[in-house]
Amino acid sequence: MLIKTNDIWKVYKMGSEEVNALRGVSIYIEKGEYVAIMGPSGSGKSTLMNLIGCLDTPTRGDYYLNNRRVSSLNDDELAYIRNKEIGFIFQTFNLLPRASALRNVELPLIYNGTKGEARIKMAREALEQVGLGDRIHHKPNELSGGQRQRVAAARALVNKPSLILADEPTGNLDTKTGEEIMQLLADLHKAGNTIIVVTHERDIAEYSQRVIYIRDGLVEKEEEIIKMAGKN
Amino acid sequence: MRIQEGAIVAIRAILSNKLRSILTLIGMIIGVATVIAVVSVIAGMNNYVANKINSMGSTTFMVDRYGLITSEEEFREAQKRKKLTIDDMYAVERYCELCDNVGGTSYTRRTVKYESDFLEDITIVGTTSNYVEVSDIDIDIGRSFLETDNDRRSAVCLIGPDLVDYLFPGLEPVDKMIKIGSFYFRVVGVGNRRGSFLGENQDNWVAVPIKTFQKFFGRHRDIEMHIKAPSVARMEETQDQVRVILRNRRGDRYKDPDSFGIYTADSIMELYDNLTGTAWIVLVGVSSISLVVGGIVIMNIMLVSVTERTREIGIRKAIGAKRRDILWQFLIESVTLSLIGGAIGVMLGSALALLVGAYSPLPAVIEAWSVIAGLGIASSVGLFFGIFPAMRAARLDPVECLHYE
Repeated sequence: MLIKTNDIWKVYKMGSEEVNALRGVSIYIEKGEYVAIMGPSGSGKSTLMNLIGCLDTPTRGDYYLNNRRVSSLNDDELAYIRNKEIGFIFQTFNLLPRASALRNVELPLIYNGTKGEARIKMAREALEQVGLGDRIHHKPNELSGGQRQRVAAARALVNKPSLILADEPTGNLDTKTGEEIMQLLADLHKAGNTIIVVTHERDIAEYSQRVIYIRDGLVEKEEEIIKMAGKN
Repeated sequence: MRIQEGAIVAIRAILSNKLRSILTLIGMIIGVATVIAVVSVIAGMNNYVANKINSMGSTTFMVDRYGLITSEEEFREAQKRKKLTIDDMYAVERYCELCDNVGGTSYTRRTVKYESDFLEDITIVGTTSNYVEVSDIDIDIGRSFLETDNDRRSAVCLIGPDLVDYLFPGLEPVDKMIKIGSFYFRVVGVGNRRGSFLGENQDNWVAVPIKTFQKFFGRHRDIEMHIKAPSVARMEETQDQVRVILRNRRGDRYKDPDSFGIYTADSIMELYDNLTGTAWIVLVGVSSISLVVGGIVIMNIMLVSVTERTREIGIRKAIGAKRRDILWQFLIESVTLSLIGGAIGVMLGSALALLVGAYSPLPAVIEAWSVIAGLGIASSVGLFFGIFPAMRAARLDPVECLHYE
């Protein structure tokens, strides 16, 4: 079991009021699965993603990642987990604008102390895996939206994480480019990676194997996706 | 993050907005430049004064009507005293047992002529034959005075190098006759070039033996005595002997203070140190203010920088940067920024000091320690004022950062 959340709650204090973003969510995700988390705005899906991604800790309940209870870890330990186990892909790409593609992909390696030759080699390989081997010295403003997202994907992969977490990965892309990126994620899944995509679009969710529906801070239902011949 | 990598990232960030970086650093640059410039000038003066005083010798002390004057009041008091005469000097020479060497000088001003060229208002020094020992003048050409010159009241003279330039261009000055005032003197030697000190030219003088001086220019002028004690240990004793002799001769009553002044190289040095001590304090005070202001500016800019890069901080944390990674990153940036400001300040200050040394009477010596201190202070300011913004950055919540517009 790669991911196991046990009745997790997330409560925010806004002034004197309490907002229950998640009200007891229990989900299970196996290694190698491709899962989509879907829900409308305000459903808590972003909060759930933050918790799964170890960007935040639950107010109540437990979260086990790779059989390790991460919900009680401190800041530094969480940072370590994020570095080693999780690869993020964001809707707005979130690349460092003044650094080259290679440098952007090197960043996670810099933060875990990988040095010199080995670091450059690993970053280069990740970029080749997403099809950008010939653009490694370009800066983000010299790349198209789709290419930037590919760089983000390479960065997510470079540390060989347990889990790739994509938050609305096609939100800032046109339909065609969006399809290319979803195809990239499908390829990565075929290569053995565990993928979680958070989205509010049905089309995007259907690339996955299973969809978890979130509404009002709770799991509403789960759905297996039956793949039609054309979509895989 | 390694320090060099951090520094490279920092330098790139600083260069990416040169105007803002320069504006940020102005306070720091001025602070450091001021320190370097003033320290260099003071060091130069210290150097010069120490040299001058060294040439006096540690066993020499001086006696004259005034002593070391530090206020206008003291000066006016001293004006009322009787002049120290050459007879006073002879008395000291005769009766002071401990005095090793007694010399004296007296001054006036005259026009000096050679054939059709003349120079006005030249200082004429009447001196005992040990002039070379008691001043820091060396004889470049010819000879110094002999006892016989003095005894015979010979009309011989030594001249400073400026007179050679003006009156004897390309000629051999020794043995020529020059007219000092209304009298003819024979040149027997030329002194070495000393340049100017605090704006005063030290090369346009004429020296004659003291007895000759009295014969031609009057007996009743103020005398300055230079006396050499046998050793440093016995200097006070020697001074006391001189004091007794002079008080007696000049009729100083028991309760009255000395009607003359005795001072040594040490007392001059002490006075000088007191004066420059004040300069130091003022300098440190002004520079500190400038540096504090400079530091606050840097801190503010770093805070702005942190806010601007909130998104970036979120990204870094999301991919695994720990708090201390972020802290280091911004701290290195503010120290790098300050060091650049410090380096510019050092260069500016040194240039300023050299300009002052070249175009004004004040000398300047650029000391290595002041450069190191300037850079050290700059990086300390960067460190101190950079901590707060760096900690702010480190503590940001990654989730909030990623949503920051």
